[in-house]
Amino acid sequence: MDRYIRLVAQISRLCGITAAAMIVISVLVVCQMVVMRYGFEASTYWQTEFVTYLLLAATFIGSPYVLLTKGHVNVELVPLYLSQRGRFYLALFAASFALLVCLVIVWSGGEIFVKSWQREWHSDSVWAVRLWIPYLAMPVGFGVMALQYVADILSLLTGREMPFGMPAEGGE
Amino acid sequence: MSPIELGGIVALVLILALLSGMPVAFALAGVAMLFMVLFNGLHGLNVVADTLFAGLNEFALLSIPMFILMGAAIASSRAGSDLYEALERWFHRVPGGLVLSNIGACSIFAALSGSSPATCAAIGKMGIPEMQKRGYPSSLATGAIAAGGTLGILIPPSITMIVYGIATETSIGRLFLAGILPGLMLTGLFMAWSLYYAHRYGTAIQKNTEGYTWRERFEILPKILPFLAIIVMVLWALYGGVATPSEAAGVGALFSLTLVVVIYKVWRGSELWAILKTSTRESVMIMLIIGAAALFSYMMSSLYITQGLAEWIAGMEMNKWLLLAAINVLLLLAGLFLPPVAVILMTTPTLLPIIIAAGFDPIWFGVMLTINMEIGLITPPVGLNLYVINSIAPDVKLQTVLKGALPFMLLMVLGILLLTLFPGIATWLPDYMMGPQR
Repeated sequence: MDRYIRLVAQISRLCGITAAAMIVISVLVVCQMVVMRYGFEASTYWQTEFVTYLLLAATFIGSPYVLLTKGHVNVELVPLYLSQRGRFYLALFAASFALLVCLVIVWSGGEIFVKSWQREWHSDSVWAVRLWIPYLAMPVGFGVMALQYVADILSLLTGREMPFGMPAEGGE
Repeated sequence: MSPIELGGIVALVLILALLSGMPVAFALAGVAMLFMVLFNGLHGLNVVADTLFAGLNEFALLSIPMFILMGAAIASSRAGSDLYEALERWFHRVPGGLVLSNIGACSIFAALSGSSPATCAAIGKMGIPEMQKRGYPSSLATGAIAAGGTLGILIPPSITMIVYGIATETSIGRLFLAGILPGLMLTGLFMAWSLYYAHRYGTAIQKNTEGYTWRERFEILPKILPFLAIIVMVLWALYGGVATPSEAAGVGALFSLTLVVVIYKVWRGSELWAILKTSTRESVMIMLIIGAAALFSYMMSSLYITQGLAEWIAGMEMNKWLLLAAINVLLLLAGLFLPPVAVILMTTPTLLPIIIAAGFDPIWFGVMLTINMEIGLITPPVGLNLYVINSIAPDVKLQTVLKGALPFMLLMVLGILLLTLFPGIATWLPDYMMGPQR
């Protein structure tokens, strides 16, 4: 089990690095676009679309890493006042519910990816991107996030991690 | 079931989901899915991926990670301390000058970073110990920084305003301009209160007797001027109609990163990765909430809740000032528990039609909403700035910080009242610079 948890953490970290790289690339592309458009008055037909999709992908791909590092904001008011037992069940419920959400998006995103692949959908711009490329980020990102939630739930069940990451003496 | 009853049930379920401690994005997406399935069957989930994708498929959103990166780069350097130091060297002779320097530094840094906790941390790290050393009461020192930090989301560039602009399809350029005068007004109010309090507190406050030579005053300027130049450049590009917010922010991010590397010699891989890591985490977190909120508002309008609520409130023919007061209370309450971005995305699709129908200006309302969110940042239970202060000044009790922050909170309420009486404080500058709306 430790191996699974460690492996998923590695994958999530890799996702984080990928997302960070995507953000850096979009900075560079935006600056290139500004120079081309205002400096050389050249036409820029692909940049806007490219960075928009890149950011979309960075959001989905980067999410598991944010989950791993507990960066998704939540309201910790109730857990703070609960006993250790109450926290455990609440954390279990919250993580399972979120896991379900991930699975729905994996399924729905996977479907749209397959459709766009089979029917060769293109965006209706001059650049005409093959749409399966940005769509793919959805099932992949939420897929890894589902794996990360399974890892979190396992850590919670086996006491490897405290519910909501709160120290034990807080409750009761 | 009427849309109003249904809306009430959705709100209740959402609040329960949020209180369970699950991430805000998942609560929003999950509740949206739940009601889609309840009313349209499993078939209703077909649109999930498409709606999520469409919610994020927007070029203007790129300005969010770009501005966050710009702020993170500047916040990671010593720019905050230098800014503070520069103001202190220039203004130390003014009585009560130290606390004024601190609030001033907060409002300038707010313009650099666009984030409230970052502003708090950058200025407070130096400012709070220094004020304590000179005999300023801890409550005033921490309260001033906590409140000064909240200006980060009001003074442009502001992530909160960008999100509001995208959610309500109002001009981000106008919103930025509209935040400037109210930001200065609050800065002024904060300063006036601090001066009054410092004087009443009396003689224990020592003046800085060291004094600075003119040489010292000038030699620090080259360190901070480039950052101020970036802000001026970004704002100029935005208002000159030269560039879109995303383009201006992208160039600003690249310049800030370059400056941080050149001036502050932040060039080790680990340091750069730390900047990148923080900004990626924050950007992804906000973007995911935006996507989830798109799903939520799709559900709300496909079940006619949004429209029904607007009709219902219009039908009540409520006094418009009473309506505004009620909305303010609602926003304030939501802001006490949720981060500003989440509050905006959850409430504006429903509130904005109501606000416009009542004859209020959407730009002005954006500023008002932002000040409400600022209050939430320094009020328990989740006042983000309070926790930042707590971590940079661990010797000061949370209670003392709260006591110090309370008067500033009241000043913000006063600010909201002033803004309601004189809407021109927000709308004059954008109208003057960009011409009247529409």
